[in-house]
Amino acid sequence: MTENRTIALLGQPNSGKSSIFNSLTGMHQHVGNWPGKTVEKKEGTFVHNDVTYTIADLPGSYALSANSDEEIVTRDYIVKEDVDMVCILADASQLERSLYMLADFAGLKTPAMLVLTMGDVAKVKGKVVDTKALSAKLGIEVCEVIAFDKKTFEPFYAAVENTIKNGSCLQADALYSYFTSSDIASEYAAALAMAEKMEDGRYTKEWIAAKILEEDELIVRRVKIKELGDIPSSEKTTLAVSDARFTWIGKLLEGCVENEKKPSELLTKFDKRAIAPGSGTAISIVMMIVALLGSMLVAIPFMGLGGATPSILNPVVDAICNGLGVSAEIAHFIKATLVTSLGWVISMVGFIFGMSFVFGILEEVGYMARVSYVFDRSMSKIGLQGKAIMPMIMGFGCTMGSTAGSKVIDSYGQRILTIAVAWAIPCGATFVVIPTLANAFFGGGGGMLVMLFIFLIMFLHVLVTAKIFGRKLNPVENRTGIIMELPPYHKPRWGFIFKNSLMRMWDVFKKAFSIEVIVCIIFFFLSYSSAGIESSILYKIGTAIEPVSRFFGMGWETFMSFFAAMISKEAVLGVLSAIFANSGSIVDSTTGLAATSDNVAQIVAASISKAEALAFIIAVTFNIPCLQAVVSTYNETHSAKWTAKIGGYYILTALILSAVVYHVAALFM
Amino acid sequence: MNLTELENGQKAVIVKIEGDRRYLSRITSIGLNVGCKVEMLQNVKKKPLLIYGRDTMIALNKEESNRIQVEVTTA
Repeated sequence: MTENRTIALLGQPNSGKSSIFNSLTGMHQHVGNWPGKTVEKKEGTFVHNDVTYTIADLPGSYALSANSDEEIVTRDYIVKEDVDMVCILADASQLERSLYMLADFAGLKTPAMLVLTMGDVAKVKGKVVDTKALSAKLGIEVCEVIAFDKKTFEPFYAAVENTIKNGSCLQADALYSYFTSSDIASEYAAALAMAEKMEDGRYTKEWIAAKILEEDELIVRRVKIKELGDIPSSEKTTLAVSDARFTWIGKLLEGCVENEKKPSELLTKFDKRAIAPGSGTAISIVMMIVALLGSMLVAIPFMGLGGATPSILNPVVDAICNGLGVSAEIAHFIKATLVTSLGWVISMVGFIFGMSFVFGILEEVGYMARVSYVFDRSMSKIGLQGKAIMPMIMGFGCTMGSTAGSKVIDSYGQRILTIAVAWAIPCGATFVVIPTLANAFFGGGGGMLVMLFIFLIMFLHVLVTAKIFGRKLNPVENRTGIIMELPPYHKPRWGFIFKNSLMRMWDVFKKAFSIEVIVCIIFFFLSYSSAGIESSILYKIGTAIEPVSRFFGMGWETFMSFFAAMISKEAVLGVLSAIFANSGSIVDSTTGLAATSDNVAQIVAASISKAEALAFIIAVTFNIPCLQAVVSTYNETHSAKWTAKIGGYYILTALILSAVVYHVAALFM
Repeated sequence: MNLTELENGQKAVIVKIEGDRRYLSRITSIGLNVGCKVEMLQNVKKKPLLIYGRDTMIALNKEESNRIQVEVTTA
C-alpha cells in the first residue's frame, strides 16, 4: 500500500505558484469550486519515492488576512485543513517583500518549508540567497527551484520528505520579541491574555494575538462570541504588527542575502513606453491585435482540420455503415451528431490552444500586469480588472477566444464577470452573417447603419451586463482601488507554456466533446423530419408559440433560425435557406451538411418585413453566441449554474431587445 | 507631504499611513509600511500612481494613496 500525504501551496501572486503546481502535477489535476464560494479550487497529485502527495494550489494572496473571498479560502484552508505540511513560496528577487507571507504564517503549528522561486531573476539583479543560513535561522527546510523546470526539483522533493519526517515547524520567537519590545507592548500583552483562551491545536496564542492586534475580522468575531472583552487594537497596532514583521524579515535576511550589483535602471526603455499615458494605450492596442492574430495563426491549422473533419470522416461513416448494412438514416444521424461535434470540438480546442499559448506568454512575460495598469481607470468603472480588456477584445474574433483568454483574470468571480460581459461582443461570425442580411434588407448604406446600431447596443449591453452580473460577482462594497504589483519582465518559457497549453487543450477536448454530442443529438431529434420541415418537433413548437414569438418580433421562421443560431451562428444563413428556399433540412443546414442557397438573403428579404428583419438581426447578434461559447464557458467556470445563468440571461435579453426593436421599428418601417 | 504629490523620480520615506483596517492590511501586506523607502516612477493624470519600493514596482490607486504621508529624502 502506498503512503498518502497532503501539501498546501501558499504564495503571493506572481510567486510562480501555479508554475510549480503545474510542473509537479502535470495532467493529474482537478479543478472545481470551493463549496459556497465563487473561488476556484485546484488540487492535484504527484508521486515521489512511492508516496502519493495531494497538493492544493491555494488562491494567491499577499498575507493570511481575510479581506476577499479568495483570501478567506486560503486562510481557512491553512488554519483549518488537516494537511501534513505547507509549502510557502517566496520570490527570491523580491525576498524582503515576499517573505511577508512567511512572517504571517509564523505561529501556526503545521510543519512548513520555504521554497524560493525566481532565482534566475534574482541572479540578474545580483542577489544571492544563502538558503542554508536561512534554514538554520527559521528551523525549517529552505530550497530553491526554477518553477517551470522540473529538473531543478530534486532539492524540493528532499525538503518535502524531511519536513514530513521531522515535522519541522517555523521558529518565530524572535518575531514576538519585537511585539514585547515595541510601543504596543501593553496592547500585545492584553491580546495575548485573550488569545490564551482561544488557543487550539493549530495556532499558537502569539499568532492569535497578532491577528487581534490587526483587527482581523474572523478572529475579532471569535473574541466577541467568547465575550472576552474589548479588543485592544487600533490603526496604530495594525501598523505596528506589520512593522514587526518587516523588522523580523530584515533581521532574518541579514547575512543571508548578498547584493552584488547596484540596482540597474528601474524602468526599462520598453516599460517607460508601456506605462506612459499615450504610448501605453497604443502599445496595448498593438499587443491586442498581435495577440488576436497570433492566436488565430496557432488556431488556423486546427480550424482547418476541424472544418475538414466532416469531409474526411463522412465518406468513412458512409462506407462503414454501408458495409455493415446499417441504414442511411443512421449514417446520417452519426454524421449530423458525432462527426459534426468532433469537427467543432477540434476547431474549438485549436482556439483554446492558441489563446492559452499567446496569453500565457503575455502573462508570463509580465506584460498583462501593464495592461491592467493602463486600463485600470476605464475598466474599473464597470467593475472589471484593467486586463479584462484583453479577453474582451478577443471576443471580436471569437467568443471562445475571450472565454479561454479570461484565464488571465486572477479572481474567479471577476473571471466569470469578464466572460459574461464578453459574450456581448459580436464575434467574427456575426460580421460575416449580419452584413449579408442587413445589405439585402436595407441596402449598402442601410447595412452600415445597422452595423453602427449593433455597436451602439454592444456598448450599452456591456454596461448593463457588467452591472447586473457585477452585483453578485464583484459587489460594489467589495470593490477596492488597484493595489497591484507589476512584476519584472521575464523571458518567456516557450516549452513550458506550450506544454501547459497542450494539457489544457486535451482537458477541454475530453469534456467538450461529450457535451456537444449530447446537444447535437437533442437538436437532431427536435428538428428531425421525415419529409419537409413540417413534421419536425421544432416546427410544431415554433408554429404553436408563434403568437408569443410574434410579440418579440419574430415569426416561426425567424424564431427557428434564432433558435438554431444558438448552436452555430454561422448557420443562420443556412437555416434561413432551409426554411425559405427549402434547400435542405434544418439539421443539415445547422451542422453544415447542406449547402446554402446563394441568394438566400434576397429570398428572405422578399418574405418578411423590414421591422422583423431588424429585430431578428439584433436578436441573433446578442443571443447566446454559439454552442461552443457555452461549452467553453462551462469549461472555464466549471460551474453549470453560472453557465446556465449567463445563457438564460442572454436569451432573455435577446428577446427583449428584439421586442423593443420590432415594435419601435414597426412605427417607422 | 502626500504621496500623490511626489513627482516622477522623487524619492521619499513613508512616515504615516491612515485608513480602515482593510486598507491598512492590503497596503502593508504588499510591502508598504511606515519607514519603507519609495521612489515615484510615474505620477500622471488619470492613471494610478506607479511607485518602486522593496524591490517591487507597485501600482496604487490615487484615491486611497491620499492616506499615505511621505517625507522626501535627498538623494
